[in-house]
Amino acid sequence: MKILVAVKRVADPNVKVRALADGSGVDLANVKMTMNPFDEIAVEEAVRLKEAGRANEIVVVSIGPEKSAETLRTALAMGADRGLLVRTEATVEPLAVAKILKAVAEAEKPDVIITGKQAIDDDANQTGQMLSALLGWGQGTFASKLVVGDKAIEVTREIDGGLQTVSLALPALVTADLRLNEPRYASLPNIMKAKKKPIDERTPADYGVAVEPRLTVVRVHEPATRKAGIKVGSVGELVERLRMEAGVL
Amino acid sequence: MIHADDGILSQEQRLMRDSCRSFVDDVVTPFIRSNWQREWDMSPGERLPGSILEGAEAIGIRTLGVPEEFGGIDLDRETEVRTFALIAEEIARGDSGLADKLVQNWKVSIVIRQFAAKHLQEKWFPRLLEDPKFLLAHCLTEPRGASDRWLPYNVPEASMHTRAVLDGDHWVINGRKQFISNGFDASLYVVYANTDPSVGMLQGTSSFLVPRETPGLTVTKCNETMGCRFMNNGELVFEDCRVPADHLLVKSTALASAGQYFRAGKIIQAAKNLGVGVACFERTADYVQNYVQGGRILIKHQAVALRLADMATRIEAVRSLVERASKAVDEAHPDADILCNMAKVYASEEIMKVATHALELHGGNGAMLEFGIEKLFRDAAIFLHMDATVDVSRMKIIKNMFPATAGKYAGPET
Repeated sequence: MKILVAVKRVADPNVKVRALADGSGVDLANVKMTMNPFDEIAVEEAVRLKEAGRANEIVVVSIGPEKSAETLRTALAMGADRGLLVRTEATVEPLAVAKILKAVAEAEKPDVIITGKQAIDDDANQTGQMLSALLGWGQGTFASKLVVGDKAIEVTREIDGGLQTVSLALPALVTADLRLNEPRYASLPNIMKAKKKPIDERTPADYGVAVEPRLTVVRVHEPATRKAGIKVGSVGELVERLRMEAGVL
Repeated sequence: MIHADDGILSQEQRLMRDSCRSFVDDVVTPFIRSNWQREWDMSPGERLPGSILEGAEAIGIRTLGVPEEFGGIDLDRETEVRTFALIAEEIARGDSGLADKLVQNWKVSIVIRQFAAKHLQEKWFPRLLEDPKFLLAHCLTEPRGASDRWLPYNVPEASMHTRAVLDGDHWVINGRKQFISNGFDASLYVVYANTDPSVGMLQGTSSFLVPRETPGLTVTKCNETMGCRFMNNGELVFEDCRVPADHLLVKSTALASAGQYFRAGKIIQAAKNLGVGVACFERTADYVQNYVQGGRILIKHQAVALRLADMATRIEAVRSLVERASKAVDEAHPDADILCNMAKVYASEEIMKVATHALELHGGNGAMLEFGIEKLFRDAAIFLHMDATVDVSRMKIIKNMFPATAGKYAGPET
C-alpha cells in the first residue's frame, strides 16, 4: 500500500504572531516556522502503518516556498520515504491546493491520502474535503482512529456529540484530528539519514494549476484586547453591578 | 537573539536542534520543574527516572559520536564539534546534569573510535547503542589532582600515581581516580595510567579500555555535588586490575593523542554552560515581564531592564566565542587549543554573572528551591571548576601562546 501525505509549513503554534501594521496579513518575518501540527499527526499515522507492515511506501508532498523543503525533510526524518515540493511563493488557497494534490495523486496513484484536518494558520479546514470531491474518493475527516484493511479503511471520526465510524473503499482520503496519535520527535540519526532521501521539485504550472487567489483579504487585525476585570467584595455587590453596570440582569 | 542564529546552521543542524528543543521543552523542563526534590534523592541511581533517559534515547542524543557503521549517526565530520555544541546547549538548557551524562558518551566515543582496535569497537559500540542506561566515562583525575599538577611542568615527579604494568598478555592497573563524570554508573571506562615513571606525563602516560565488571576495579562512591546533580560523579579504585593487552588504546603519548577529545570536550563544556545561561535569561525575561512591584511589571523599572540587557549581552558574547572556537576545532586551526580553553573559561565566568543576575532579579523567589532559579545558579557555579579550574584554563591559554617562556620548567623546589 502506498500512502500520500500532504504537509504544510506554518508559523510555529507556540509563537505569538502579530498582524502587519497595514492590515494586509500576518507578520511572518523572522517568525519560527514548523510543520502544521495536524499534518505531523498525518505523517506519524502513515509511518505507524508502515512500521506495522500495512504500508510499503510513504510519499510526502508540500506546496509552498523553497523553505517548505525543510518541512518535507522533517517528515522524511520521521519515516517517510521521499518528498515532493510543489514550489511557489504565492499564497495558495485551499481549492488550488486541492487541484494540485489531485494532479499529484493521479501521478503517484496512492491507496490512501492522509493530511491534517486543517492548517493552523488560516484554519480553513477545506483542502481534504475538496480534494476528495475532485478525486471522487471517499473521505473520512476528523479521524481519531484508522483500521486499514485490504480493500477498505475504517475511520473513526470525531463528530459533535460523539464518535462515528465509517468504512471507505480504497482509494480513500483521511484527515487527521488531534487524538489520532502523538507524533514522535525526529531522531538525530534519522535527520542525518533523511538528508539522503530524495525530494523532487515541481511548480503548480507543471500540473496546469493556476494559483491566483480568488479571495481578497480585506483586513487582518488582532483580537480586541479585553479590559481588566475587577474583584467584587460580595455576592450582593456582584448582583448589583451585573444589574446596574453590565445591564445583564 | 539569545539563541543561535539559524543563518549559520545547516538544515540538518537546525532540524536536530529543533527536535532536541521540543524534547527538552515537552519532557525535560516539565520534569525538572515539577520534581525539584529529586535532585536531592541520596540514592544516586534513583535520581533521574529511566523515562527521561529513554526519551533521550528515542531522539538519539545519548550516542552522538558513535560512527554510522556501528549503528550510530553520520554527522558531518567537518562540522561535528559545532553540532555537538548546538545539541549540548539545548540539553543543558533543560538540565545541565542530564547534558553532562549524555555528552560524556559522545566525547569518550571519539576516543574509542579513534584508538580502540576494530574488534573492540565492534564489541562495545553495539552494546552502548542497545542499552539506554549504558554510559561511558573518562578517568584522568586522581586524588592528588589533574591538569593543575602536570600543567606547568612535564616532569616525572608530576606524573600520575595510577600505574599500569605489562604482565604477560595483560596490563595490570593499580591506583585511584576521582571526580570522574559518570564514574559512578558507567559501564565502560577509558583509564589513563603511568607506564613509564622515568619520563614526564606527556611521554609516559598510556590509556586503556576497562569494562566495569573487570576484577580489581571497584567504584567506591558517588560524589555529591552542588550542581549538575543528575550526573553521577564517581571515584574508582584499581587493585591489580588486569585488562587484556589489546585493551591498550594509546601507549606512552595518551595525553597528547587525546587532543581531539580534550578540544571537543572544552567546546561542549562551554556550550552546556551557554545552555544554562540561556535558561537563566528565558526564565528571568518571562518573570520580569509578569511580576509586579510598585504597580508596574518589573521590566518597567530601569534598574531591572539594565540587568536584563547585561545578561543578554554576556550570553551573546559567550556565544560568539563558542562559535569561533568550535569552528577552529572543526577545522583543526592552529589556534584551536587556545580558543577552546578561552571559550570554556570565558563561558564559566560570564554565565556565572548571568546566573547571579537571574537570582537577584527573582528577589526572594530566586533563593527558593521550588522556583528552580537557585538550581541554575548552582549548575552555573559547577562550570568554574569542571574540566579544569578557571586559573588552570588561563595557564593553558598562556602556555599555548608562549610555549618558550610560560611553559618552562624551573626545576624541583628545594
